[in-house]
Amino acid sequence: MLRRIILGLLLAGVVAFGVYWSLTATWLTSAVATDAAYTPNLANGQTTFNAGGCSSCHAVPGQPDRTRLGGGLALPSPFGTFYVPNISPDPVDGIGRWTEAQFVDAVMRGVSPSGFHYFPALPYDSYAHAKRDDIRDLFAYLKTLPPVSGRVRDHDVPFPFNIRRNIGIWKWLFMDDKPFAPDALRPAQWNRGAYLVNSLGHCAECHSPRNFLGGIVASQRFAGGPDPDGKGWVPNITQKGLSDWSAKDISYFLETGQTPDGDTIGGSMTSVIGNMSQLSADDRDAIAEYLKSLPPVDGPSRPGKAASDSGKS
Amino acid sequence: MMRAVVVAATLLLGVGAVVAQQDAVKHAQGFMKGNGKNAGALAAMIKGDKPYDQATVDTAIAQFEDTAKNLPTLFPESIKGVKAEGDYSPSPKIWEDQAGFSEHIASFAKAVADAKVAIKDIDSLKATLPVIGKQCGGCHETYRVKNS
Repeated sequence: MLRRIILGLLLAGVVAFGVYWSLTATWLTSAVATDAAYTPNLANGQTTFNAGGCSSCHAVPGQPDRTRLGGGLALPSPFGTFYVPNISPDPVDGIGRWTEAQFVDAVMRGVSPSGFHYFPALPYDSYAHAKRDDIRDLFAYLKTLPPVSGRVRDHDVPFPFNIRRNIGIWKWLFMDDKPFAPDALRPAQWNRGAYLVNSLGHCAECHSPRNFLGGIVASQRFAGGPDPDGKGWVPNITQKGLSDWSAKDISYFLETGQTPDGDTIGGSMTSVIGNMSQLSADDRDAIAEYLKSLPPVDGPSRPGKAASDSGKS
Repeated sequence: MMRAVVVAATLLLGVGAVVAQQDAVKHAQGFMKGNGKNAGALAAMIKGDKPYDQATVDTAIAQFEDTAKNLPTLFPESIKGVKAEGDYSPSPKIWEDQAGFSEHIASFAKAVADAKVAIKDIDSLKATLPVIGKQCGGCHETYRVKNS
């Protein structure tokens, strides 16, 4: 009897370990390595770069050049502080020796060239919805930027969040890697906006509340919440928060950083405007049209603010 | 009796100082809100919500000029560290980096003076307003903090 119990426990242990191991493995490697040779579109790569907001995190902090991607910015979070890596084409400290397939895997699957999971501070759960060719064009574009030497320090993430394998479980729980599917009933401009907002623009990453494991609360997507860096509040960008902004107001804001009441935006949105202002007016209008179509959703209530005001400012 | 008078007087002085502090903050906010309202009116013309109107432009420029003139005294040391009502408060950097702050004010004043000459029609407005907007944003970025 005892032997049977021990055997049973052992078996259960093996199964549990197997489940854990498979859930946390880096399965999601792409098959792009076998793709045919590709002629990248550098202009589209630059659009992807601007829409994706790469420079907001990866540009060297404290200098004005958005294309010096040496990293180093500290990103505080409830799980520790992330230090943004060097993605300049430097062959030693950056991504100069990466293959295109490795780059696509990193951006769209959150898997490093050596096969470990990246922390979702890199918003690959949004980039996963990107068109693969947009990411390939981006890779070609990044290669044209100046190499910056200098390796960035390791993340400062305490146990248990520092166990990379566990990010596999996070991906299993929260990551939706289905490619973007256009809505045939909507106009092309709306679909372009939906694509930019949900994939490259990764707007939901900051403009949604997160649960205790750092996953986006799906029912309150785009409804705002506490700022991920711990200070202040990110506004609700569903029609609950933006009902008194016209589509034109949103386009103009994305171009200039000026809100309809004449104020200028501050905080982390400032650099986002720096990216959005580089897009074409058509792309900004597309984003505006899509945002205007988001049904009003109540976000978490902001502490110290009247309930009626929770979606604004 | 004397002691009571002294205590009461001190308290009144204290209350008076706090009231003065809040008045100074409100005074500064009044200028900023006026700027916002005028910048919004200019933006409405760029967006095509309103037709181009030189009088609106002149009013806005006058408001910006008035702000530029008053900015050097708008943030007295006495309001350092006060948390203002509303979404934002002045950053302590205003007083810690007075040279930098003055530089921003001068640069804003120059942009306004240039705009006064430059804005003649909708196209020149389109070209010029973002220049002023950058001045607003550039200063806010460093010298204004979000209330949490």
